[in-house]
Amino acid sequence: MHEFAIASEIVQNVLETAQQNRGGRVLSLDLEVGELAVLNDEQVTFWVQELLKGTVAEGARIRVKRVKGVVGCDDCGRRSRVRGDPRDILAPLSCPRCGSFRVRIERGKECYLRRIQLLR
Amino acid sequence: MKVVKPKGAVILDIELEKDLLQKNRSLAKENRRRFDRLGILAIDVMGSVGSGKTSLIKGILRKLALGERAAVIAGDLTTTIDAERIAEEGARVIQVNTGKECHLDAHLVGQAIEKMNLDGVRILFIENVGNLICPGEFPLGAHKRLVVVSVTEGPYTLMKHPFIFREADVIILNKVDMARAMRVNARDIERDAKRVNPYAPVIRTNALRGRGIGKVIDSLGLEG
Repeated sequence: MHEFAIASEIVQNVLETAQQNRGGRVLSLDLEVGELAVLNDEQVTFWVQELLKGTVAEGARIRVKRVKGVVGCDDCGRRSRVRGDPRDILAPLSCPRCGSFRVRIERGKECYLRRIQLLR
Repeated sequence: MKVVKPKGAVILDIELEKDLLQKNRSLAKENRRRFDRLGILAIDVMGSVGSGKTSLIKGILRKLALGERAAVIAGDLTTTIDAERIAEEGARVIQVNTGKECHLDAHLVGQAIEKMNLDGVRILFIENVGNLICPGEFPLGAHKRLVVVSVTEGPYTLMKHPFIFREADVIILNKVDMARAMRVNARDIERDAKRVNPYAPVIRTNALRGRGIGKVIDSLGLEG
């Protein structure tokens, strides 16, 4: 539901960066979205495309890389990749090795704008 | 998009490493520093529409009888209903309307505390927008985060929305007097809570009648 807020933030960063680099058209942008982030990357992409209309970045190619989730277990002390379907919201809530619920999400909640390609 | 590269033009690759959630986190830290400097304990109250967030805050305020030493930031889309209800308890209230945005963020809270007179205030409640998805992802700088769930939401709320409950320091199970009528077993919800967040205590309340409020106050480390 906060995809719009995140998309606005992305667009603002893209346009500022383009301006700072005296760029012309923005050709593409690379996003990285954690699979455990409470974000639907298709919605983010849709809103970014909409918000870029009428700007120097209209029509830019948007690439989204999904980052795998990693949890650390307070009981067995091990770090593990989240297994199973990442859309299963209960998957990251237990340790895949010992089954404990005392886990912390260590990776997979981030949302990054990594790279912009522009023409100058 | 078909781009014709003009003569003499170059393609620039710009690496950014820009974490889009970082801005909110650093503003939240600023809010926290501000609360600490002022000696205020800040509590973020989250939960569904109608879960009983306002009633819970009212119940705590009534029991603590802090008057103007308590303050509340009431977040809502457009109305002032909650702010008016809280003002009845004598606390200072500021209404933050998010318009169409579904959650409070650290920037909105920072603006609100800028506008408020917080002299002498010991406790600040931040009542988030009624929503179980977004508020969890946007820390506000509060010392404690509390999530309210009522039995009238049915038996599955915690399993459907585990992420926000993971952010909770305390989980409030409200309207327990309605459990029977709703055919919901409070114990099942408590069991789900232990699965979703084994670290947070679960406190049963009937906020309207003031039941369990004393335990909530204890769990937040407040003095009655």
